[in-house]
Amino acid sequence: MNRTKASSVIALSAVAVLGLSACGGGTTGNNNGDTGATGGAATAGGDLLYLTKRPAEHLDPQRMYIGRDIFTTGRTVYRSLFQFPAGEKDATKAQTPIPDIATEVPTSSDGKTWTVTLKEGVKWQDGKDVVCEDFKYGVSRAFAYDVLDGGPFQYPTQYLDIPKDKDGSPAYKGPYSKKGQALFDKAVTCKGNEITYKFNKPWGDFPLAVAGLRVFDPYREDQDKGAKNNFVIFSNGPYKLDGTWTKGKGGKFVRNDQYDPKTDEGTRQANPDTITFEEGVDESIITDRIVAGAGNDANAITDRVVRPPSYSKVEPLKDQTTLVDSPYVFYLVPNMSRVKDVNVRKALATATDNEGWVGALGGDKAAVAATSIINPSLPGFQENPIFSKIPAAGDPAAAKKILTDAGVKMPYPIKLTYQGGDPTLDKAMGVIKEGWDKAGFKTSLDPLTETYYDIVNKPNNDSDVFQGGWGSDYPSAATVIPLLFDSRQLSASQVGNNYGQYKNKAVDQAIDKAALITDPIKAGEAYSAIDKTISEDYGYIPNYIQRFYFIRGKNVTGYEQTEATSMFADLGTVGVK
Amino acid sequence: MSIQPPAEDLSTDVVATAAEEVGATKIEGRTPWQLVRMRLRRDKTTMFILVVVLFGLIMGITAPILSRLGVLDPFSGNRELIDVTGGGLPLGRFGGVSWAHPLGVVPGTGQDVLSRLVLGVTYSLGIAVSATLLAIGLGTFVGVVAGYSRGWLDFWLSRLIDLTLTFPQTLMLIALSPIVVRLLTDRFGVPEGDIANGMYVVGVLGLFGWPIFARVIRSQVLSIREREFIEAARSLGANNRRIYAKELLPNLWAPILIYSTLLMPQFISAEAALSYLGVGIKPPTPTLGNVLRDSIQYAESDFIFFFFPALFIAILVLSLNLLGDGLRDALDPKADR
Repeated sequence: MNRTKASSVIALSAVAVLGLSACGGGTTGNNNGDTGATGGAATAGGDLLYLTKRPAEHLDPQRMYIGRDIFTTGRTVYRSLFQFPAGEKDATKAQTPIPDIATEVPTSSDGKTWTVTLKEGVKWQDGKDVVCEDFKYGVSRAFAYDVLDGGPFQYPTQYLDIPKDKDGSPAYKGPYSKKGQALFDKAVTCKGNEITYKFNKPWGDFPLAVAGLRVFDPYREDQDKGAKNNFVIFSNGPYKLDGTWTKGKGGKFVRNDQYDPKTDEGTRQANPDTITFEEGVDESIITDRIVAGAGNDANAITDRVVRPPSYSKVEPLKDQTTLVDSPYVFYLVPNMSRVKDVNVRKALATATDNEGWVGALGGDKAAVAATSIINPSLPGFQENPIFSKIPAAGDPAAAKKILTDAGVKMPYPIKLTYQGGDPTLDKAMGVIKEGWDKAGFKTSLDPLTETYYDIVNKPNNDSDVFQGGWGSDYPSAATVIPLLFDSRQLSASQVGNNYGQYKNKAVDQAIDKAALITDPIKAGEAYSAIDKTISEDYGYIPNYIQRFYFIRGKNVTGYEQTEATSMFADLGTVGVK
Repeated sequence: MSIQPPAEDLSTDVVATAAEEVGATKIEGRTPWQLVRMRLRRDKTTMFILVVVLFGLIMGITAPILSRLGVLDPFSGNRELIDVTGGGLPLGRFGGVSWAHPLGVVPGTGQDVLSRLVLGVTYSLGIAVSATLLAIGLGTFVGVVAGYSRGWLDFWLSRLIDLTLTFPQTLMLIALSPIVVRLLTDRFGVPEGDIANGMYVVGVLGLFGWPIFARVIRSQVLSIREREFIEAARSLGANNRRIYAKELLPNLWAPILIYSTLLMPQFISAEAALSYLGVGIKPPTPTLGNVLRDSIQYAESDFIFFFFPALFIAILVLSLNLLGDGLRDALDPKADR
């Protein structure tokens, strides 16, 4: 089914903020932290510094699948048909696409045919106009599995109306081999400055996907060098890359003189003169540097959370910190092919100590206990009736009773596999083990480092429970439940994102039905109903929603973290004093 | 001797022991071991260190029993002792030090630091002792065979020693860990988890720890084998095995003992360093390295939590090192220092 890279969807670790898929956010505005505190109105000028630990894997728009990169580039160098509005405090509006290069966000009567009109006067950094053919060429690259990887290619390849080969892959093989080009030319057509996409099934979320991902972005054919262009930025936005980008070090954005702000409303204020990205800096060092605020560090923002040991240092700088719920939910999945007894899974869920877990991660500034795999901020979210009944601290006594009643031999051995390497997460897993062992399990922890994705992706591995983390690709539960629990992605050689190998025909059918619902709220309710079915099987155990506790330099102004940018700092509004 | 005891101590001590054992004027032969014991007893520092090491050993042996009995509780969390709004730091001053938790509690979970450290001594000493036995065993074997056999065997064994010394063992340890541990569990049926991970560390530390020692033994054997009693044994028709076991080995106890006590602290620090790099026994099992690894990030915000694990490792390593030095002085007073 989808070809998302396992590494882009599993939690890298409890504190690796960006390990996940793309965007997400909310319509209900449940963030109880201080989202406000913008540091004053932003003005043009100055040098912004963006400190981060994790290097960008791709800067090629089609190949990007990491929320941070999608939004930092979307606000600076890459323009799309639609964008989420910058600095919009209302969560619903922040999640509603507004036109960017398009003249308006169109509607589609049947959800299958979408025609978008392009604005005049939008230029590439070399002065040429951004034309319909660039958009067409851009999305065609998603079909070139043999050349490019990493991006959310499943959306264009699944939806665009192109016949499938026998093996289920699209008959069009991308712009490099040009095999099946005629088929693609029928699905995406250009007429003057009008581009038309034809889908094989209704896709009401199309504008959300365009705004929330970069895979539908334009790309210049004459600039395309395939995989070699991974870190090449050919800009049509207010900035362009100065020199080259070095993976692990970063790069510098300077103003793009071909950019005309008149064609751009509501998404990019483009305040700083330059934006420097510095990669590979440890969290504790990022915090220390921003707290000290020496030189350019006073102009710094970051996507890395403040680590618990640094909380006391950050405490006095209240007007430089923000605390918001992230779109990322972390959960455990029982391996359905090994833990076959639903009572055992129920006992695991009942004995899971999410409160202790949150405590070990650093308390309420680091995470908040979750009761569903769907983030409550997604449209149409309904409370999960199964997991919200279990106390956050777990109930080992009740779990023991479930095991005893089920006649299971105790202690029941459980191998819990997770991605190790972070002492804080190790400690948190110790808490889970403690609760489970009290309930009559014998838990062995199995922290894996480099081999994690290889192991979890093999259907015949011998782990009983895995850890995962997920954030929606765009604000809809349609990018959560189907991607994680549709059994049709399972094959003999790999499990896709369905690590627990959850198989339920009723769920698969309900997923197909929900996909046809165009109203976002009604669709969300349908997915919550599916979530309930999965929960009755204890197909997963929700743990916590990660929180973003961010610090910024004292000179930073216009600072916003909204749903529009998955709660990362919005480069569309930020400025420097 | 390295550290001369004060004069008056010397007089009382020596006179007392001398009077008992030898008598004031009588000239009497003493066995080498008697001499060693006498020298050791005179060396106050080493005696003190010996007490510390013995205390550590007893601690390491009794800790699993105590934690089974519930006296030590290294795993249970105490959520009421940590501040969930302040990054999980312990409530109260000095990292949550109290009568119930004399060395404070672990941030985030509220586990008892003292219990974790004491059980950590068990694991770390266990690893260090096993790895030392392995390294010493291998080193002695290779050293004796190489030193005594001369010729091509000596040549190739010496090259083997050189080769092993050139291996970048820390890198290998990290890189091979997942593969070898998996091999141990899947192929050889070693129980997964602590046992397999522990075996891996012991194995690699031992397999890369022996060459220097083998060289020392070889050079000792080279000088011993020319001595008359070896020649006598050989001319009486003793076979090689007898010469190795009965003639050579008894004369090698001094270096073996010294090197054992010097290798052990090396392995304890190696275990700590490897835990920091994520190799070896995994948390929540508390080896000293694991406890230290967690505590390093709190070096600024919860200094006490960082201080005690570091102190434990420092004391253990230092005392074993000093014990080794003391033993060397006692066993081999001619060795230049």
